[in-house]
Amino acid sequence: MHPNIRTYEETSSRTPGFHPVAVEARGLGQQVSTAERDLTILKDIHLSVKAGATWAITGASGSGKSTLLGLLAGLDRPSSGSVTLLGQALDGLDEDARARLRAGRVGFVFQSFQLLPALTALENVLLPLELSGQTDARDQARHWLERVGLAERAEHTPRQLSGGEQQRVALARAFATHPEIVFADEPTGNLDADTGARIIDLLFDLNVQTGTTLILVTHDEALAARCSHRLRLAAGRVVDAGAGADA
Amino acid sequence: MMRWLRLGLTLLRRERASGEWRILLLALVIGVGSVSTTGFLGDRLKRAMTERGAGFLGADLLVTSPRPIQAWPDHDLDTSQAIELASMASRGDLFQLVTLRAVDAAWPLRGQVRIAQRPFEDGQPGPALPPPGDIYVETGLLSLLDAQVGDRVRIGASEFRIGGLVADEPGRIGGIFGLAPRVFLRADALAATQVLQPGSRITYLYQFAGAPEAIEGFARALKPRLDNTQRLTGAREGSQVLRGPFANADRYIQLTALISLLLSVAAVAIAARRHALRHYDQAALLRCLGATTGQLRTLYASQWLLLGLLGSLLGVGLGALAQQGLAALLLPEAAWQLPELGWAPVGAGMLSGLLALAGASLPYLLRLSQTPPLRVLRRDLPPLPLAAWLSAAITGTALTGLVLWYAQDAQLVAVFLGALAALVLTLAILARLALAGGRWVRRLSAGPLRFGLAQLLRHRLDSTLQLGAFTLALFLLALLTLVRTDLVHGWRQQLPADAPNHFLVNIAPHQQQEVSAYLAKYPIKSSDLYPMIRGKLVTRNGQPITEGLSEAAREDNTLRRELNLTWTGRLPANNEILAGTWHGNRPGDEISVEARMAERLGLALGDRLGFQVGDQTVEARITSLRSVQWESLQPNFFVIFAPGPLETLPASGLAAIHVPPEARDALTGFVKAFPGITVLALDKLMNDIQAVFDQIIAALQLLLGFLLAAGMAVVLATLLASLDARQQEAVLLRTLGAPRAFLAKSLWSEFLALGALAGLLASACAEIAMALIAQRLFELSPQWHPLMWISLPLAGALLVGAGGWLTTRQITRIPPMQSIRALS
Ligand SMILES: Nc1ncnc2c1ncn2[C@@H]1O[C@H](COP(=O)(O)OP(=O)(O)OP(=O)(O)O)[C@@H](O)[C@H]1O
Ligand SMILES: [Mg+2]
Repeated sequence: MHPNIRTYEETSSRTPGFHPVAVEARGLGQQVSTAERDLTILKDIHLSVKAGATWAITGASGSGKSTLLGLLAGLDRPSSGSVTLLGQALDGLDEDARARLRAGRVGFVFQSFQLLPALTALENVLLPLELSGQTDARDQARHWLERVGLAERAEHTPRQLSGGEQQRVALARAFATHPEIVFADEPTGNLDADTGARIIDLLFDLNVQTGTTLILVTHDEALAARCSHRLRLAAGRVVDAGAGADA
Repeated sequence: MMRWLRLGLTLLRRERASGEWRILLLALVIGVGSVSTTGFLGDRLKRAMTERGAGFLGADLLVTSPRPIQAWPDHDLDTSQAIELASMASRGDLFQLVTLRAVDAAWPLRGQVRIAQRPFEDGQPGPALPPPGDIYVETGLLSLLDAQVGDRVRIGASEFRIGGLVADEPGRIGGIFGLAPRVFLRADALAATQVLQPGSRITYLYQFAGAPEAIEGFARALKPRLDNTQRLTGAREGSQVLRGPFANADRYIQLTALISLLLSVAAVAIAARRHALRHYDQAALLRCLGATTGQLRTLYASQWLLLGLLGSLLGVGLGALAQQGLAALLLPEAAWQLPELGWAPVGAGMLSGLLALAGASLPYLLRLSQTPPLRVLRRDLPPLPLAAWLSAAITGTALTGLVLWYAQDAQLVAVFLGALAALVLTLAILARLALAGGRWVRRLSAGPLRFGLAQLLRHRLDSTLQLGAFTLALFLLALLTLVRTDLVHGWRQQLPADAPNHFLVNIAPHQQQEVSAYLAKYPIKSSDLYPMIRGKLVTRNGQPITEGLSEAAREDNTLRRELNLTWTGRLPANNEILAGTWHGNRPGDEISVEARMAERLGLALGDRLGFQVGDQTVEARITSLRSVQWESLQPNFFVIFAPGPLETLPASGLAAIHVPPEARDALTGFVKAFPGITVLALDKLMNDIQAVFDQIIAALQLLLGFLLAAGMAVVLATLLASLDARQQEAVLLRTLGAPRAFLAKSLWSEFLALGALAGLLASACAEIAMALIAQRLFELSPQWHPLMWISLPLAGALLVGAGGWLTTRQITRIPPMQSIRALS
């Protein structure tokens, strides 16, 4: 564990909208039509993720991992099947309604960090806090930066930070609003092994401390093994689903 | 809502140093600056007029006529009348053409005349009627006659004391078109001066004032009685009419300003596009974090709005400064008299800025706020395209609205947009051709030059746009300069050394012998003396002349005013018969008509034309068509009669003379000897006209400065738009081992080539346009301008080179490692 991280008093009875199932997919499929032919990216995916569970989605490149993640998070619409996110069926919601559902309740970590280059580290963490209307946003943001060990870098912009540092800021941003679920798409893909390992430790620490649900896309078998559940995709289909190593 | 607004402003503050915001701001400042420069001045002029209300006309109703009007409809209105004519005023050996206005005690019925005792004083309000023996003169006359208030001045056969200076009079803003200074004298003193001769060009002014209904009824009854040489003006139209030529100049000056605004819009659009491209990731991320379309719209709109307000405000400020310069150029004497800056143009400027910004950027803003959130996972995902019709409709509406608003005349707008479109198209084609030519040059070149040219050719659309915008600015600038030097100075140089420099007007028939005798005593070269009668062309073959004529032909100058008719048996020296035979000395009802006039009005040999001369009608048959060298400064006539038909009518004589410098004194004596004859000093008149012309051109050039800046903004905006791609390329080149100097040289060669090419294209356009203008409009032989072909490309290369280098030099500075990071 990182020395600077303080344990956070998790309140398990935290929101009135707490759902035993964080995200659920039924018969999920995604097809796109290209110039030549129709391409099936995902087919007939069933999935039920309990609140507080950690899931790894693995599979070869191009197997549809990111596509699935996007559908589960409501970033895109499936061509068939349905997704229920935090108790809300997504099919009935338009783009803006889905956005409102995400605000403050869903966190994201990306392979390419996706920090706003114009803002400082602190402001990047502040962003979701302010947007979800938290009152003591600034204090909370500082607190989160401290937890990821970047208190002294608060006023630096992403360009002045290393890749690992940027990803730590991104983690702070993802967890800052106490989201009920965090989606991470290959969070270590752009980092060297050592740094990647530290980021993963931090990610799991934060996850344990806050009790969020975590859905993680990764190539890394060792990483997948640390999750309570895993889902292996091949060519858009589930080839293996079940409990992870330590579940 | 507030949160998104705040975030928008925070982001804007953080990104304020970014290139696209700067360009956007720059373009807006230039565009708004140019339209508010003219806006402010126009507004001040308009208020100068309306603030004086009816006082501007001097009455509630004004009737002007070239002949006295005897019979009026019944009325019980207050009346006043005046006679206005050009005449000579002299003092010692100095003489000057003035505009005499002989007034009665009631003049003016409305508003006031202010008479001052010293130049540039405000003066006391009072009647325009001077005490007996006195005249009131405009300040400008003092220096022309080397006189002071209290000095004596001769007008015709009388002498007057200058009793005061006209500091202000209804309808006068002073400045630009006051070529013959105003002199007020008593109507009862006019006869004694003997300046009124039969055939003199006189304007009779009748003022009326009274209750509005009475005025209206009177005007209704009067209107049908007036012919079209007579004019009735109400207080409302008064300011329009009196603004006269300036009203038109004003319109064209506004349109020039508008072109700058439109160019700025192009620059804004390019910058907006780049801004959108660079912010799709940001927008996608914010959507991921839960932003709705509406919230993103708030965020980006707040940024654009703030920037729009800031840019427009700065532009308005710039306009407020520049308008003072424009006022000083256009109205040197009156600039200080104009009212304070008004608020209306501030609003108009801000609104044009925002409208321009909206037209240029709204489509991008809409796209940005609809970025799909999935883009955070799939970076290649393009933003949703906005329906093409929607963005075209937004931009089209905003821009057409702008143009309409400024031109306020649908036909003018159509012509303007058509001409602009044609010009843009031509420039685009030329630019493409030039770029194709560049391919040849590239083949022959090597190293950085080759690389730089390759850049130009690769970004063909960008290059076309840059070339087009910059060429347009340079072209208009060059054209204006050429018009001034070629047409005005060039024409004067083309005149023979002994071309007439004075006109003698109003020579009474009985004076002709004496005048000839007087002139013969001096080394003065005189043209033939032409009798002159004013008459209006009214019929053709017994039908009203307007019948069957197009709208444009009906508005022809030769129909709107009375023509100067003459008769002679000798074909004037610079005229040439193009059709028919010259009537020579055979007396009869024959006329010779200027060929272009005949063409415009559809007149043919054999047609019988009827002229209204006074209350008589004279008819004659066209037996020849002539060409006339209008620019020869000789007396020229549209219509020349054979001896006979006109001889019984009262005529006054006209002659052109060349007075060599050593015989100047002869003129002083002449003015004294022949009080009724007006001596028009052509060289002085030409100097005055040229001064006016120079003023207008200088004003236009000031505005073209804006245009050049706007063209520059387009160039910079397009360069900026390609900056990311260039940076990537530069990094690649540097990692491959290209030295920094290579990059710098290739950038320089690209921009120098671009600027020089724009200069060349502009030279070609200006040369062609000038040749057309010279030949078609002024019948001058076109000439080459080798200096322009050198200076324009040079200026273009320097401007674009410096601007381009400043925008892109960072590419060569960043070490490759850092750029790799900046790009990822
Ligand atoms: N909108 C689309 N149009 C066309 N093809 C698409 C689209 N979306 C996804 N694909 C294709 O579907 C497949 C799965 O994509 P996805 O990004 O989900 O893979 P992935 O498992 O995340 O791969 P990687 O490990 O490389 O990130 C790929 O072949 C991709 O090119
Ligand atoms: Mg992926």
